[in-house]
Amino acid sequence: MHKLGRGQRDKLQQFITITGASDKVALQALKASDWHLEGAFDVFYSQPQLKTVADSRHLEKLYNRYKDQYVDMILADGITLLCNDLQVDPQDIVMLVLSWHMKAGTMCEFSKQEFISGLQSLGIDSLEKFRERIPYMRSELTDEQKFREIYNFAFGWAKEKGQKSLALDTAIGMWQLLFAEKQWPLVDHWCQFLQARHNKAISRDTWSQLLEFAKTVDGNLSNYDSEGAWPYLIDDFVEYLQENGIIRKSEDADSSLKL
Amino acid sequence: MVIKEPIQWEQGWGLMQEAITKLKNILEGLTDEKSFTSEEYMNQYTTIYDMCTQKLPCEFNKELYDKYKEIFDEYLNSSVWPSLRDKHHEFLLRELLRRWNSHKVMTRWLSRFFRYLECYYIERRTLPSLNTVALSCFRDLTFDKVKAMATDAIISLIHKEREGEQIDPSLLKNVVHIYVEIGVYEQDFEVAMIADASTYYARKATNWIEVDSFADYMLKAEESLKRERYRVREAGYLHSSTENKLVETVQHELLVTHATRLLENDNSGCGVLLRDDKVEDLSRIYRLYHEIPKGLELVANTFKKHVTSEGARLIQQVEEASNSQTINSSSGVQEHSIVSKFIELHDRFMAYVKGCFMNNNIFHKALKEAFEVFCNKNVAGIPSVELVAAFCDNMLKKGGGSEKLSDEAIDETQEKVVYLLVYNTDKDLFAEFYRKKLARRLLSDRSANEDHEKSFLCKLKRQFGGHYTSKMEGMMTDLVIAKDCQRSYEQYLHINQHVNPGIDLSVTVLTTGTWPSYKSCSLNLPSEMVKCVEAFNEYYTSKAKHKKLSWAFSMGACNIHGKFQKKTIELIVSTYQAATLLLFNNADKLSFLEIKTQLGLDYEDLVRVLHSLSCVKYKILCKEPNTKTISQNDIFEFNSGFTDRVRRIKVPLPPIDERKKVVKDVDKDRKYAIDAAIVRIMKSRKTLGHQQLVLECIEMMSCMFKPDVKVIKKRIENLIGQDYLERDPNDANAYRYLA
Repeated sequence: MHKLGRGQRDKLQQFITITGASDKVALQALKASDWHLEGAFDVFYSQPQLKTVADSRHLEKLYNRYKDQYVDMILADGITLLCNDLQVDPQDIVMLVLSWHMKAGTMCEFSKQEFISGLQSLGIDSLEKFRERIPYMRSELTDEQKFREIYNFAFGWAKEKGQKSLALDTAIGMWQLLFAEKQWPLVDHWCQFLQARHNKAISRDTWSQLLEFAKTVDGNLSNYDSEGAWPYLIDDFVEYLQENGIIRKSEDADSSLKL
Repeated sequence: MVIKEPIQWEQGWGLMQEAITKLKNILEGLTDEKSFTSEEYMNQYTTIYDMCTQKLPCEFNKELYDKYKEIFDEYLNSSVWPSLRDKHHEFLLRELLRRWNSHKVMTRWLSRFFRYLECYYIERRTLPSLNTVALSCFRDLTFDKVKAMATDAIISLIHKEREGEQIDPSLLKNVVHIYVEIGVYEQDFEVAMIADASTYYARKATNWIEVDSFADYMLKAEESLKRERYRVREAGYLHSSTENKLVETVQHELLVTHATRLLENDNSGCGVLLRDDKVEDLSRIYRLYHEIPKGLELVANTFKKHVTSEGARLIQQVEEASNSQTINSSSGVQEHSIVSKFIELHDRFMAYVKGCFMNNNIFHKALKEAFEVFCNKNVAGIPSVELVAAFCDNMLKKGGGSEKLSDEAIDETQEKVVYLLVYNTDKDLFAEFYRKKLARRLLSDRSANEDHEKSFLCKLKRQFGGHYTSKMEGMMTDLVIAKDCQRSYEQYLHINQHVNPGIDLSVTVLTTGTWPSYKSCSLNLPSEMVKCVEAFNEYYTSKAKHKKLSWAFSMGACNIHGKFQKKTIELIVSTYQAATLLLFNNADKLSFLEIKTQLGLDYEDLVRVLHSLSCVKYKILCKEPNTKTISQNDIFEFNSGFTDRVRRIKVPLPPIDERKKVVKDVDKDRKYAIDAAIVRIMKSRKTLGHQQLVLECIEMMSCMFKPDVKVIKKRIENLIGQDYLERDPNDANAYRYLA
């Protein structure tokens, strides 16, 4: 075994801590991904022979622990218990990541199918493994692509079944949660604006476009194109910021949207 | 045979020297002889010829060529230059002209003598020709030394002439011609002359602009240009190539530099000339500015501003007049009179466009843009299209004054109204207002003349398309059918006496959708009317089994007899009013709430009805308390003491102000229209950028209205939500059509 550099040794340690893999396996995965942790995780979890076999019997047992008395689903109580077992706050964003893995249809409930297949894909068949997976799930939020998927998933998951739009209060809660991770400086102004001026449910389009807005437009809106295809709510938000002096209007910004 | 002896240099040159001296004397005027004889000429020519063709060492080509130049040099230095040196101004010019003419004579003779050199020596050695040598000598030794002063002198002469003094035109012409002949016209003369003209006219402009009115200024400008052109063309003392530059310079100084100040002068500018109808002055302005690139645009701009401000002024006048009227004044200024004022304004300014502005497109455009500005403004809070509709209503209804006008006059007015409509952006809103008013005219039989109605629809159709007028035409057709239907109903009743309710009922059957929607009524009809309605219902459903009738009592009218103490008076009222009054057949006094309960009308309608019967001109009902407004606690009683000198009175029920509803309906229709446009555009393009989509959408809607960009955006998002479109995953600013 050739000598590893200090940085590489750190990464190796991290990898093992998070995945619970053996030294050898960890080293292989890291090498295969050129010592990028993220890539190493992907390699590790996508290779069938490296995956820890998730015993389906164990999964059933786990499911039964949380399932509701009367209905064949995990409901609020079960989820609370799960969170307890995992030593995680029910409001913790990692629960969203978990729901995403499960492709859960609605918040606060998991169907049997969702629970089991979700856990399988994560290679979990025991509480211990479950707990070990938590840091990994958290780390997924730092990946651009995955964050986007999780963010967009959150819309469908958080809204009421059968509704097309997301209730404003729920949306605001979700945004605050998500952007605490992502660090968007305007999130509070956005929420204030919505409560003051909009007071209606949020459409899917607005939801997804907000992420793009947060990612591409900088803090003082210097690269915001008022003639672009941003949803009108975002245009209104920019006007709101300018009206209230939060952001100064740049000289050549079009203040009138009428042609 | 005599062999000719070659001529030696001294000998040959001696002969030439004699000739040259003679020539100089001729030029100086020192001899009576005016020229050389043919024999003398032959001798000189031959001498030269011999000296050129002789064999060496007597071949003197080079020497002769050099000598030729020497002659000029010597003469110019010793005689010509001294005579010019101390002269100035006009004297200089005259002497210069004289010396130049002499020089030309000298050149002519000498080059004839030395002609043979041209044939071989000069050509073979590609040397400058004899004429060229002569010219360069004059130029270098004489002309160049005096040209600056000469140019100044010439320019002074021109200046004198401009100021009105007499000068010698031929002197000027000929001296300037020297420059041309020498080939230095442009750089040694023209440049300076143009610069001088520029300064001159700049100064003039500054003077005139302080003192003269625009009209007078224009006259002076026109005169100046004429005279400068004359200087070039007729008088000919400037070369023809100068004309354009000179004219341009003068135009620039007089017309361009101060253009804005002149055109927009408050006391005498374009606006004032238009106001005072100074046709000739305006035509002059057009003529003068027509020649300047972009000149007409400047004038047209001022024209546009003037028209726009006139339009704004009319609006202001009408608003002031309407503000100063009291609310209940019956002879109030009707705001729609502004429409005829606009038409007048348009006629007036169009006359200018076609007349003094020569029907030029730039002015047509300016007029159009001006009208588009103020034709779309609200007047006293009323949308302009509503006023146009009101104007039309007035023109087409009975008692609107149109009965006094001839068919041609009405036709002309209608044409002009349609023309005015073209300037309006909210054409769909006009259609809706017009339709509502048309409906009211038709249903209460207030239309003055069916042909006029039809001809107006025809004009609208021609301008805006069949789709625009289809509903209105449908309404007219409906009436015809309804009349037939009524006739056959009456026949039916005649035949079937047992179903005849005993009261005459005439029904107008309308097609839903063609007519404006009338809210369905909750009115409880008096029993007499119920019978009529039922009879008709039965008749109609037996005839048209698939059709469903819904009654719009809000539009109906009724003739009832009021048996007052003094006399019976026939009252012409609306159905609502009639139903209300008939309640008093069964009760002496009724409270507001009792009436409301019994009739089933909604609050606002009832207030209107009761107000019309008890608070205005004809008090058919007495109201306790006797105030001017209706309140929930009022008590009503039949006013048996009521009377009037006539036997028949109409008790009008003023209609509710429909403006808000119309605007709301049109907004809704616009949303659907935008949706449809977006879908149609995306379906054919599949993928399209946001800006492009917005532009095409606006384009598509432009013939009917101007959509708000924000509204378009909202509709796009709406369609995304309904899965008609999606955002293009590869391009943040584009959309894709979802089949």
